[in-house]
Amino acid sequence: MTSTTHEAEGHGAHDGHHEGLPGTIGHVSSWKSLVTVLTVLIFLTVLTVAVAQLDLGRLNVVGAIGIACVKASIVALWFMHLRYDKRFNFWIFISSVAFVAWMVGYILFDSSMYQHNIKEFRETHPITAPEIHEHDGGEEHAE
Amino acid sequence: MSTSVAEQETSQAALPERPKQLAMHFDTLHQQFTTGKLAMWLFLGQELLFFTGLFTAYAVYRGNHQEMFHYAHYFLDWRLGGANTIVLLTSSLTAAWSVRCAQLEQRKGLLITLALTFLCAAAFMCIKYVEYSHKIHIGAVWGSNFGVPLNEFPEHLREKYPDLTPEQLQQMGTGSFFAIYFCMTGLHGIHVLVGMALYAWLFIRALRGSFNRKYYGAVDNIALYWHIVDIIWIFLFPLLYLIG
Amino acid sequence: MAGGIVEKPASAEVVHPTVHYLNATKGFKNWLVTLDHKRIAIMYLCAVSVALLLGGFWAIVLRTELLHPHDDVVLSNAWYNRAFTLHGAVMVFLFIIPGIPASLGNFVLPMQLGAKDLALPRINLFSWYLYVMGLILFLGILFLGGLDTGWTLYPPYSVGGGSEHKAVWLNLIMAYTAVFILGFSSILTGLNFIATMHKLRPKDMGMYDMPLFLWALYATSLIQVLATPVVGLTLGLSLIEHMFNIGIFDPRYGGDPVLYQHFFWFYSHPAVYIMVLPAMGVQSELIATFSRKHVFGYKAIAWSSIAIAAIGFIVWGHHMFVSGQSPAAGIIFSLLTYFVAIPSAIKVFNWVATLYKGAIDFKAPMIYALAFMYLFGIGGLTGLFLASIANNVHLHDTYFVIAHFHMVMVGSVLTGFLGGVHYWWPKMTGRMYNETLGRVAAVMVFIGFNVTFMPQFVAGTRGMPRRYANYLDEFTTYHQVSTIGAYILGAAVVLQVGYLLHSLFKGRKAPPNPWGAASLEWQATSPPDFHNFLEKPVTMGAYDFENWEYVSEEAGYVLKREVIETGKSLAKAH
Repeated sequence: MTSTTHEAEGHGAHDGHHEGLPGTIGHVSSWKSLVTVLTVLIFLTVLTVAVAQLDLGRLNVVGAIGIACVKASIVALWFMHLRYDKRFNFWIFISSVAFVAWMVGYILFDSSMYQHNIKEFRETHPITAPEIHEHDGGEEHAE
Repeated sequence: MSTSVAEQETSQAALPERPKQLAMHFDTLHQQFTTGKLAMWLFLGQELLFFTGLFTAYAVYRGNHQEMFHYAHYFLDWRLGGANTIVLLTSSLTAAWSVRCAQLEQRKGLLITLALTFLCAAAFMCIKYVEYSHKIHIGAVWGSNFGVPLNEFPEHLREKYPDLTPEQLQQMGTGSFFAIYFCMTGLHGIHVLVGMALYAWLFIRALRGSFNRKYYGAVDNIALYWHIVDIIWIFLFPLLYLIG
Repeated sequence: MAGGIVEKPASAEVVHPTVHYLNATKGFKNWLVTLDHKRIAIMYLCAVSVALLLGGFWAIVLRTELLHPHDDVVLSNAWYNRAFTLHGAVMVFLFIIPGIPASLGNFVLPMQLGAKDLALPRINLFSWYLYVMGLILFLGILFLGGLDTGWTLYPPYSVGGGSEHKAVWLNLIMAYTAVFILGFSSILTGLNFIATMHKLRPKDMGMYDMPLFLWALYATSLIQVLATPVVGLTLGLSLIEHMFNIGIFDPRYGGDPVLYQHFFWFYSHPAVYIMVLPAMGVQSELIATFSRKHVFGYKAIAWSSIAIAAIGFIVWGHHMFVSGQSPAAGIIFSLLTYFVAIPSAIKVFNWVATLYKGAIDFKAPMIYALAFMYLFGIGGLTGLFLASIANNVHLHDTYFVIAHFHMVMVGSVLTGFLGGVHYWWPKMTGRMYNETLGRVAAVMVFIGFNVTFMPQFVAGTRGMPRRYANYLDEFTTYHQVSTIGAYILGAAVVLQVGYLLHSLFKGRKAPPNPWGAASLEWQATSPPDFHNFLEKPVTMGAYDFENWEYVSEEAGYVLKREVIETGKSLAKAH
């Protein structure tokens, strides 16, 4: 944590030999690397469409999310300069993703555990079609 | 008498070697830049968690209503979604390139890349508009308002499930899918609109020549924001349009 | 640093600045567009005080209503529901969550770092405006006839409404908007604090040299940044749901209300630590300063703040033991909840160890600090009872729960807030408050709390449910005693408002360091200069009290001459 704080001026770039004017802050990406990244991203987009056309059952979801994760990582690492950026920014990103995973995972787990309660309730208590009103009912509910 | 101490101190602080873009509480432009960037990354962290609620809702409803999600995804046209993906990825390239131009002080390149990013965003919103208006037209909308007549069913859906009736779709709660669809893409769309406003603002500032190799934090941070908008869409596209 | 030191003999006259941040520029408009963290802090302090008085007013009204088991003493039953909703919502969203970080933290954080301002001054001002918008919306709800859903705005309660549906509908929209806006105010404050602590810390001050108040604010900010967006989205979705009937949480349209509770508590449980962590930070400062002893177990206290923040994220399900959550999730959450006790206890033990053999000075802030330990102890330990599912099912939604979370959320946060306000009052305003009245008020707060909430624990275990306007006759005594306690608390607050306002005009001028505290803000004048420090402060450990020597009541403490000459702390490595 402390490693990110006391920085000297002008040491943005880590890989020494890059183009740029003297004293430039931050890492300058070469235009070749940017275009390469876009090409890879478009290729992966085509791939994800292609994979979705196959019927793989549950694997479809895994494949789609997997490819999306790869694409997101590429955007984060190259377009967003995380590869060259301060380590701390990287950890902010990673910890946010961890919290995202924790929240989605846990709520999904719990909801799958209580679904049978809802199903049983629905089977024993037939639902009468709810009255639908514009803007939450208003006066119609009063009686 | 009217000059207060505060004003005097500010004028003292503006000594020749102190760049005019440097705020009074920073020592160097580098410190100012990295501070802004750290704050931006924290903001992006909260953006991710902001969208998480919707992704969770998606996961929960999808997990519990598999077949409804399967039918519903036929209503989305992956060609339009795919086109939007390409548009947004391209805008990510121009956004990243605008940072490069700002760092290299290529004024013309900066203006072009900023304008291109704005135009891509606008193109994205136009395609989105076509999608939304079609859905609202055929009645593929949220919650209890959902109701698509049989003749508006997409071809693939009719071919694969000839017996499926509009009433069945309504009863299995297809409106929930579209509630989630409109919330997710709508919230994402709001972010795109905000991005457009930010890029217009950057363009004006670039026209005035506000940026240089030591002072381009705004270009960099807004590009970061734009990339996170892109990342969200990278997930939305397969989740909504592709997997059934 | 060593060269060019101004000679300051220890017996020097106190310097009372004639020009300082309060009068550097004049006029109302200059305050409204100020980017100065100190002025924004004062504006926050005023705003949260309004919220505190508003929430406190409803508390007094509620307690008065409960004097009699059946009769409507001051409120109809419908208004009782609205009163407890407004009491809860105003207190939680407008006072307890932003209270300490946004007012005291805003003022003190840059100064404890020896910095001139927060990292993002414009964002800071913007977050104040967001806060005020939220406050105005809540006042609007009040004038439009109130809201009766409880502060949690759970969907089954928040879908229908009582008799005036249109008003309820509009009020809900306003409540959702208000909490959404307040959430963003909170997020912006949090990320501003983290950026400041990382980037504006002087080169010779490491993370472990920061005062523990800053560690607490750091942990708080982490929660604010990572948890608040979830409640923002939740209430944003509820807002959309109310306008368009989209069916995500509302069961009438196929929504899942348990999902709302998951989302809500994913934020609102960590939010409990947003509330209490800053108070714990204030506590660490007060205990060390008024024991005149280096705080015991610095790293343990610092890291326990981070641990509380982290564990706070994995326990939210204990609010849902009886609301449809699956038993498996309930068991896991029950187990995880116990873990929060560990870092909390580490803190309390370290404070007690700091007191041990210290030269304890019973100034008003110290009395609040001691009250904090007692109230937090009771609140925390009763939390352990509630963490076990079997107990929880029995005690759920009874007055036991009410008493528990008031002990923690109000007992601890309010004493932390009041202790901090008294502690930094000389620095913020340049005036000393009346010490005797301060002590009287502190003792009254302590007594008032216990008289209010101890009977509620008992009533709760005997089955008194929360949120009821009428109750069985057997609970009458408990309620009446509790109401008397609330009156004592109310009287203490009125007394405080009185002598604090009085001190602004008639109070003795404060020396730079009246308490002998060692963190950097005490090296500035009272009140500080517009740029905080006239000369760069001597960086030293936050608890190196040996660098200061006592001069007199009027002059307070001054830095020892050796420290000024060498620019170094006298403390050995700790």
